[in-house]
Amino acid sequence: MAVSGCGTSTNSGSGTETKEITVWLMDGSAPTTLTDALNKEFESANGIKVKYEVQKWGGIQERLTTALASSTPPDVIELGNTQTASFADQGTLMDLTADAKQFNEAEYLGGLKDSLTLNGKQYGVPFYAANRTVIYRTDLFQAAGIAQPPTSRAEWIDAINKLKAANASNPDFQALYLPGQSWYFLLSLLWDEGGDVAKQDNGKWAGALDTAQAKAGFEAYKALYDASATKKAPADTDEAKPQQMEVFGTGNVGMMVGLPWELAGAVKAKPDLKDKTAAFPIPSKKAGSTAPVFLGGSNLAIPAASKNSAAAKKYLALLSSKKYQEQLAEGGAVPGTSKDTAKLATTPLGKAMASSSQNGKVTPVTPKWAAVEAGQNPLKDALTAYLTGAKSLDQATKDASEAVTKAMG
Amino acid sequence: MTAVKTTETAAPAGGTTPPALPPAVTGGARKRRRRGGAFDRALPYLLLAPALIAILWLIGFPVVSVFVTSFRQLNLGELVRGEIVWTGIDNYVTVLQDERFWTVTLRTVVFTVAVVGSSVGAGLLIALLMRALTPWVRIALQIAMLCAWAMPILASTTVYQWMFDQNYGILNKTLVQLGFDSFAGYSWFSSGTSTLSVVGLLIVWQAIPFLAFSLYAGVVGIPRDLYEAAGIDGASGWQTFRAVTWPEIRSLLMMVTFLSTLWDFKVFAQIWVMREGGPSGESTTLSVLQYLEGIAKSHFGVAAAISVLMMLILGLITFQYLRRLLQTEEGKI
Repeated sequence: MAVSGCGTSTNSGSGTETKEITVWLMDGSAPTTLTDALNKEFESANGIKVKYEVQKWGGIQERLTTALASSTPPDVIELGNTQTASFADQGTLMDLTADAKQFNEAEYLGGLKDSLTLNGKQYGVPFYAANRTVIYRTDLFQAAGIAQPPTSRAEWIDAINKLKAANASNPDFQALYLPGQSWYFLLSLLWDEGGDVAKQDNGKWAGALDTAQAKAGFEAYKALYDASATKKAPADTDEAKPQQMEVFGTGNVGMMVGLPWELAGAVKAKPDLKDKTAAFPIPSKKAGSTAPVFLGGSNLAIPAASKNSAAAKKYLALLSSKKYQEQLAEGGAVPGTSKDTAKLATTPLGKAMASSSQNGKVTPVTPKWAAVEAGQNPLKDALTAYLTGAKSLDQATKDASEAVTKAMG
Repeated sequence: MTAVKTTETAAPAGGTTPPALPPAVTGGARKRRRRGGAFDRALPYLLLAPALIAILWLIGFPVVSVFVTSFRQLNLGELVRGEIVWTGIDNYVTVLQDERFWTVTLRTVVFTVAVVGSSVGAGLLIALLMRALTPWVRIALQIAMLCAWAMPILASTTVYQWMFDQNYGILNKTLVQLGFDSFAGYSWFSSGTSTLSVVGLLIVWQAIPFLAFSLYAGVVGIPRDLYEAAGIDGASGWQTFRAVTWPEIRSLLMMVTFLSTLWDFKVFAQIWVMREGGPSGESTTLSVLQYLEGIAKSHFGVAAAISVLMMLILGLITFQYLRRLLQTEEGKI
């Protein structure tokens, strides 16, 4: 009875007026203070209730598939930015090209805009992103006489050598912890050399790992891997096996290429690292610039079958506003719809992340990419084969390129 | 049975009555009796039917569904849109034309044979050993095996990963301590064969408790006096085994071999967790290939075709056993 009484007061006009929208955001993506304030402001401004649901990352692909296939999907969803293309390609997301202006389109980072654009149409709004930086120990740098964080790859290798020399007495010391399959970092080096993983030609994707530029990226990886010469870093696993933050947390590591949460994890394991760590952007081979980085993060989208798309758009517009983007930045993420990263740049790591994010890129935006990344990643195999000497550089990159072509073909 | 008997006894009695009447009476009685009999006979089946249909549906539906899906083009798009696109045998052609499928099939068969052979062999040896042990030692061994058996697959796989770790693994450290310096930083996962050997060892370790317990149950059932008789006849250990133990446990051994083949052929978790079928796909088996097609690439139709082919291959491998199983069943009934 109470419900119908409520309905008559707001439902005077059309019969299809929205009373409630369902919003799915991911676990740990935005601070609760932000979402609470956002939902409250939206509800009081529009008279529409927000059914806010937090989703776990595990099994999200399946849950989204089922939700999008239903006749009453959620009205706003959060998607990983490498997932967006495949969902857009299946016609499950609403085309937001015409509305992009009200979502601060002019402020999108290039890499993030790419991640939600398929065949010239936009299927979402960037939410937030994070990128890798070189996390280092300030005390060890000081002790080794390194005054300034390196700003070119040559300087970086120089710093590795100085750290090694200064810590020669510690047999467990590793100047740079770099496992053999840290492929997101390889992307940085590839892009820095002007190469790419795959190229599109007449709508067909083909592997591009056997180009001279891409090979130079592999060589740069090997140069860093060999310079750090840490036999302790396995050639055949990635940064998650073992978790590199745990290795960094032992205190015997000078640097690692990592994400903010990895530093947080290391500090948790060894709290005194908190005041002894900082970060610098991954240096480019060109002195003074930073290497391109992979921008991992999330996009927001409206399912094509949403019945409340007008309200959902208002919700996205509000979230894209400066106020909430600043809160995202304050929380330690690169904000999706604002180039203003002043609030992020308040910590050393935030500062490094903010400056390199301007040069951020994403993996090829195509539904076919999932097959490369989710399966047996050819980039990882090529790195291990090349670093261990099982294959020559030419052979390893040729095989990997063919594998990419096959997976994306 | 009762219906037949009563009509038989009724017939001689009816012989004295006028010829017109008996057929109608006896016929009517027979019909009524038969109807009641048919219903009586059908009743148990009717009562069973709902449960039977539910069970058949539960077991059969996934199988039928996989089979039907293997003739469909079913990618993420078709799944989300709920479309049904029939492609005939295209999925099978795709799979069978891929030379990788054949390499992987051969690898899976060799892997299965090796793992089943070693686990059944080791299980049998332990079962025979348990018979010879004093009770206390046997109980200790049984408890140890129960613990190994109770360990979750992923937990033991992780422990194996640590043991075989390149830098921190206890195996390499021990080998170096023993003087094999070349094992410092040796990678046990640098080739497919080596990776599958580690995975195989893990699976054998996980399988031994079940096999040893099952076979021990068979061994313990053999009467002691048979062994005594063999001993009096001067039979050697091997001869005793051949003449006394083997005939008694042969059918049990065949059954556990059959079960192990089923399990080991489609093993997935251990291989995937260890190295995701790597390096360079060299430890990919059929179930990993199916996962890559189905989940990683969202080609559910092709993955279903691989499943059907896996069932066929498994059927071929276990053909002899299945035939014997069916024959003995018939012989018994």
